[in-house]
Amino acid sequence: MRKFLWLVPILGLLLVLAAGCTAAPAPAASTGDAAPQAASGEPITVRVSTIAEPSTLDPNLAEDTYSITPIEQLFLGLTNLNNETGVPEPELAESWTVSDDGLTWTFNLRKDAVWSDGNPVTAKDVEYSVKRAVKPETASPYAYVLYLIKNAQAINQTVLPTDTYDIDTLGVKAVDDYTVQFELEAPAAYFESISSMWTLRPVPSWVIEEFGDAWTDPANIVVNGPYLLKEWKPAEQLVFEKNPTYFKKDDVQIDRVELDVISDQNTELALYESGDIDVAGDNAGSFPIEALTRIRSDATLSAELHEGPRASTTYVGFTMTKPPFDNVLVRKAFSAAIDRATMVKDVVGTGVPATQFAPKGIFGAPDPEVGIASDVEQAKAWLAEAGYPDGEGFPTVTYRYFSSTLEEALAQALQAMWKENLNVDVQLESMEFPAFLASTAATVPVEEMPEMWRLGWGADYPDENNWVYEVFHCTDSQNRPCAECTEADELAKAAGRETDSAKRIEMYRQVEEMMFGDEVRVAPYYHRGFTILAKPYIERAYPAFAPPNWDTWRVNQ
Amino acid sequence: MIRLIVRRLLWFIPVFFVVTGITFVTMHALPGGPFDKEKTPPAMVQQMENAFGLNRPVYEQYFIWLGNAARLNFGPSLALRGKPVAGFLLPGLAVSVQLGIMALLFAFAVGLPAGIIAAYHRGRWQDRTATLVAILGVSIPAIVLGPLLVWVFGLWLDWLPVAQWEPLTEGFWPWLSHLILPAITLGAGISAIVARLTRASLLQVLNEDYIRTAHAKGLPRQLVTMRHALRNALIPIVTYIGPLTAAVITGSLVVEQVFAIPGMGRYFVTSITSRDYPMVMAVVVIYAMVIVLANLSVDILYIFIDPRISDAE
Repeated sequence: MRKFLWLVPILGLLLVLAAGCTAAPAPAASTGDAAPQAASGEPITVRVSTIAEPSTLDPNLAEDTYSITPIEQLFLGLTNLNNETGVPEPELAESWTVSDDGLTWTFNLRKDAVWSDGNPVTAKDVEYSVKRAVKPETASPYAYVLYLIKNAQAINQTVLPTDTYDIDTLGVKAVDDYTVQFELEAPAAYFESISSMWTLRPVPSWVIEEFGDAWTDPANIVVNGPYLLKEWKPAEQLVFEKNPTYFKKDDVQIDRVELDVISDQNTELALYESGDIDVAGDNAGSFPIEALTRIRSDATLSAELHEGPRASTTYVGFTMTKPPFDNVLVRKAFSAAIDRATMVKDVVGTGVPATQFAPKGIFGAPDPEVGIASDVEQAKAWLAEAGYPDGEGFPTVTYRYFSSTLEEALAQALQAMWKENLNVDVQLESMEFPAFLASTAATVPVEEMPEMWRLGWGADYPDENNWVYEVFHCTDSQNRPCAECTEADELAKAAGRETDSAKRIEMYRQVEEMMFGDEVRVAPYYHRGFTILAKPYIERAYPAFAPPNWDTWRVNQ
Repeated sequence: MIRLIVRRLLWFIPVFFVVTGITFVTMHALPGGPFDKEKTPPAMVQQMENAFGLNRPVYEQYFIWLGNAARLNFGPSLALRGKPVAGFLLPGLAVSVQLGIMALLFAFAVGLPAGIIAAYHRGRWQDRTATLVAILGVSIPAIVLGPLLVWVFGLWLDWLPVAQWEPLTEGFWPWLSHLILPAITLGAGISAIVARLTRASLLQVLNEDYIRTAHAKGLPRQLVTMRHALRNALIPIVTYIGPLTAAVITGSLVVEQVFAIPGMGRYFVTSITSRDYPMVMAVVVIYAMVIVLANLSVDILYIFIDPRISDAE
């Protein structure tokens, strides 16, 4: 109520200001609450939003969710991550086999898939795409997930123009029109997950060769997925229409999807309430906590709110080579002193408290969670054991983060928790994002590194290999905390090559326990969550990891 | 007048080199690069920077950029992969110009009468009200005013669309209705400044002898105001709106975000935070050109308003 009172004088003023321009406001008839599905015969249209423009629609080049969501609708993967279970299922590939040594993967493609210009989708298109993604000239930001393919790393890291490479040495080959074979560097059970990724989806070579960078323009693009790209208005809207050449077109109910670029989440919410969009929050972070509080207290909105975990974790990084964080007891104390439940409930507003790195739903993620639990008494005891009873003699240390409303709130909460629970002073330092990344890179001299900093990770493919190995391996990853090699690193590498699922799960449990419970390389504190609003007539799945499949959505008449 | 125009346009050449040179060097001196992402391994970043020639010395990159710019090729965006920056900036500019002109129209439709009324009723309630409104107009930021207008006129009264853009080709009312709230948000602060400037300037002119003479001759008050006083009082306002127009018609990040409008203003900010060098350069060039043109228009307007000012110097 108090919030409302201060609005009154301002409202009066606004009416005065507005009087000059709103002389004849004929009611805007068309923008009301009309449901998208009109009388029979009309196309069924759904309007969704994205907080950022897709940076590309080229599968070989995509790296952010804003690009991957539309790409998912336009291009078929070898496999698809089931929106309900998150497990890879057949898509372009009907079946696949692995050789006994785990090195040769053979995918058998379905024969009824065609490109929107009528050409059949063949194994040659897969081979072309993988080669294109790996070629250094393509400059694909995700080429590294293909490094498990034979010779991919060597070819991709060729320094041009001084060195040369032979693309035909790459471990991918179209055996015949509908069989594609991959040779791997080492056995990798997680290749099945990777085969669902956008980076190696078949692309139309003839279109790329004709139009170059402009091949993804609506006038030129040729696709093979459930939807066609009809329009792309920069910073405004992308329009998709059902693809009549898609082999399962009869299973697609929604004829037209409009993807509106709305970069402000409060505006997104207002447009949802006014009925201008049918789904909000699908391609964005979770709503800000103030908006969430309002949504939850509103009878209509709260019934339309869908929440769940997103395969993404936020954590505090420690510079393990810099005192006092070279002492594992200090790191343990700082991790245990974070009140994770409060963070999730009162600061972020959604999500799941985390003590390990990979969230549930990722293959190999320990369940129940391992790592260091929030425990103030234990935290105090560890800090005392490290030689700083009740924080005595502990130097002032720095926590660095990048400027954003949420990150600032999180940083202040961390600072307060460390002060209250450990009686230590932590200085906060905020930076613009690229400067922040540059200032916390693994190559920064240790004197210039902050003692602690903010980091996060989101899954590329749902397997622990993408987490503990690709992020924290002491030599094969960026290893931002500068950890020395231990048994955990060997085990993380070995788990990727293990072919027995049960064994892999157990190995990853040990790695998570060692890295975040014993060595405390970083302190994971929450797994991010999604908050999506969908009108009651929309029936769909809310995948934790996979991009949404619009072809499985339904509009109830 | 032709000499004035030619001289001003020739001035654009040194302006161009100074502005682009400084921007280029400053941008490349900022820490972090376009391909630095939380998740991209350093080897990948290196590889991509090589592919886009970012490993060359900065001066060399600048000359390459100059060569391309001379052929009106501002290059592909680094953040929006492979797309020419012009493909984003030109449609954005077209939208921003429409919105900016509407905002200016609103600002003058409100600001000029308010300033005139305040000046004529100096010290009385009309003056105080106008001053109060002007102060509020200047001090309420767009990020507060915008959502407030959305809430009142979009959600509560349901008179106007909440946000988003409709081109004129979709019809006049859809176009206008989507423009009103953002134009008010963008124009509110300007209208307040225009009101204050008009008031101050008019008060000064009203004390001049020739105005007293005009009144003494028994001319109607309105005629004195419109023909004699306002014309001279306009000079400081015209001076002010030159650079202001340039700023307004190239867009505003806040208004574009609040109203989900595909204008050009966003690129002023996002291109820098994403270290999208070609986009930054193109934005700076467009802005410099608009400023030069706006100032030129002001100079031409002076000649019409005040015959004493001419291009002879």
